[in-house]
Amino acid sequence: MMIDLLALAVAFPLLGAVVVTATPSHARGLGLASAVLTTLTSLVLSLGVWRDGSVRSDFGGWGAPLGIGLQADGLSVAMLVMSNLVALAVSVYAGSYFSATARRHFWPLWLLLWSALNGLFLATDLFNLYVTLELLGLSAAALGALSGTRAAVAANLRYLLVGLLGSMTYLMGVALLYSRYGMLDIGLLAEVIEPGLVAWTAMALMFSGLFLKAALFPMHFWLPPAHANAPAPVSAALSALVVKAAFYLVLRLWLDLFDPVLNASVANVLGLLGAGAVIWGSWRALRAERLKLLAAYSTVAQMGYLFIAFPLLVATPPGLARDNLLAAVVLLAMTHGFAKAGFFLAAGLVQKTAGHDRINELGGAAQALPAATFAIGLAGVALIGLPPSGTFLAKWIMIEQAMIQGLWWWVVVIMLGTLLAAAYIFRVLGHAFNREPTPYRFVNDARTEIPALLLAFISAFVLGLIAQPLWTLLDQGVLG
Amino acid sequence: MTPAWAKVLIPIVLIAIGAVLVWAFSLAALEGGDRLALIALERVPESGVSNPITSVLLNFRAYDTLLEVAVLLTALLGIWSLGPAAPAFQPASPILGGMIAWVVPLLILSTGYMLWAGGHAPGGAFQAGALLGAAGVTLALGGDASAGLPGETRLRFLSVLGVLVFTAVGVILMALGYGFLTYPEGYAKWLIIFIETAATLSIGVTLAAAYLGGEPRDERTSRSAT
Repeated sequence: MMIDLLALAVAFPLLGAVVVTATPSHARGLGLASAVLTTLTSLVLSLGVWRDGSVRSDFGGWGAPLGIGLQADGLSVAMLVMSNLVALAVSVYAGSYFSATARRHFWPLWLLLWSALNGLFLATDLFNLYVTLELLGLSAAALGALSGTRAAVAANLRYLLVGLLGSMTYLMGVALLYSRYGMLDIGLLAEVIEPGLVAWTAMALMFSGLFLKAALFPMHFWLPPAHANAPAPVSAALSALVVKAAFYLVLRLWLDLFDPVLNASVANVLGLLGAGAVIWGSWRALRAERLKLLAAYSTVAQMGYLFIAFPLLVATPPGLARDNLLAAVVLLAMTHGFAKAGFFLAAGLVQKTAGHDRINELGGAAQALPAATFAIGLAGVALIGLPPSGTFLAKWIMIEQAMIQGLWWWVVVIMLGTLLAAAYIFRVLGHAFNREPTPYRFVNDARTEIPALLLAFISAFVLGLIAQPLWTLLDQGVLG
Repeated sequence: MTPAWAKVLIPIVLIAIGAVLVWAFSLAALEGGDRLALIALERVPESGVSNPITSVLLNFRAYDTLLEVAVLLTALLGIWSLGPAAPAFQPASPILGGMIAWVVPLLILSTGYMLWAGGHAPGGAFQAGALLGAAGVTLALGGDASAGLPGETRLRFLSVLGVLVFTAVGVILMALGYGFLTYPEGYAKWLIIFIETAATLSIGVTLAAAYLGGEPRDERTSRSAT
């Protein structure tokens, strides 16, 4: 008897999808059972990697380059744990969310999406990654359209087409690498790849395909309608996991494959697009009229932070600082996964109870649904990056590193995004806790309010960042 | 309305991208090193089948093919989730009906041949499944509302059969100690044919059901309607 946890992490959700498709009347029970089994498999696998290091399994016994295998290392396991825990929570929530008819459609597609996610995080072969991207994109778009409204179907048809364009562009890059080097395994390719037109073009193709799928600004246009109109559990999975998979792949290819051919200008382009995403996404989230649209734009913004990390990574020389930065990026991605999924699930409950999710009319929602509002508040803490959330720690390390490298403009972007995030989260909470109609103006009495605002602003943002002079000052007599 | 500058700029940008791609691909082809295809061809005899394509799809890279069969299933489930099928075509005229009565059995016969031929000549599950699907489409064009497909329970079972058998074979081989989708020596040929037979049925059923374009009719309602 041999147990290959890598294979089972993909095979269990796949078998689950088969079983719930064949017996739709038991979809919920069997679906939940598959969800628990898949999560357990992924957790045991992750525990093994935690204790004993990376594991690899070659299917068919051929080994690379001829065959395909799966591999779990620290990075893939971090994403795997986050995704499987979030997916388990989404499964439990979905168990009571959907009507009996919608349930028959939800469970098979959901488990197929899950196997695609697990397959993607564990894959080591560029073409195999393309197949998981296809499975992921197709099941995600079909799930997003499950709410059945015209807006949802239109938005998700567009999502499907954009996703196909993204996978095709990625595949073209893979084809280019394959025709030059004649292999597909990431590890083997990394040994032979050399800078030049072929590698750069392949990188540009693969990355632009993945940016489209990760909704990196300005290629985010498809995300807000698709995520905002999907059923709540699906929105949670799309925003927390599916776009994150595309980001994971960019990071993986960046670190493991294109490292020898990269230079700072590529990283700066990524950082610039990320900065655009942070500012534009946060601004649109602040202006959004509906709770789920706010959450969707917030995803656009939060994906931006992840891409700001690339110029910092390139600027930092290998060593402890760079390792910390890398850990911070993964922590940021994981925290956003949990926070955004929680936010969407709670928003779905609010929408179901109130019959709508217009933010301006959410008054009294806190009284009716204290737990859901508390969840939105807690997720908000993580989305803003208040301590002790993972986002706080991650942003802290990113800001610190940017300061050390003298790249202060990224700090400005991160701070601005944080400020806007605080604004859009408190806007929701303000309405949620308020029965009264909200005032129309932000500032009502400038002479009294502006000083208060300035003081609060200094305490929250200025003092912590520009604390260095204090040390100099205290040197005058107090600190020896 | 597209502004005038965009009408000029967009084609120029597209042509530039196209030129870079052509240049990169021609460079890649010129400098190309050892091909994976050579290694694959060398080891075809070990794969249990003599057709190199089948040995890649069902042995060397069987895991890719498993996921691709799952992609087909996902597409079908996506179509089903969007609502009921469009109304059937009107029944065919006697001449067309007579032709369909000839063509459909021939298509099913060719399906079987194509499946078997895949082991040593061009063919295999995808081609055989396409022929089987074509038989269903032909029936649907002739006015058969169900495209010759069985009722919902059996239809659902047939549509997942490919993924089920493929994954189950993989997991059972893993449990027996060979490794996921690692065929033991001497059994490769028969396991491949077993998987391909299931995949052919699923692919054919999926293509025909996708052509109908909607949820399967519930057996009870269709029975009460007739």
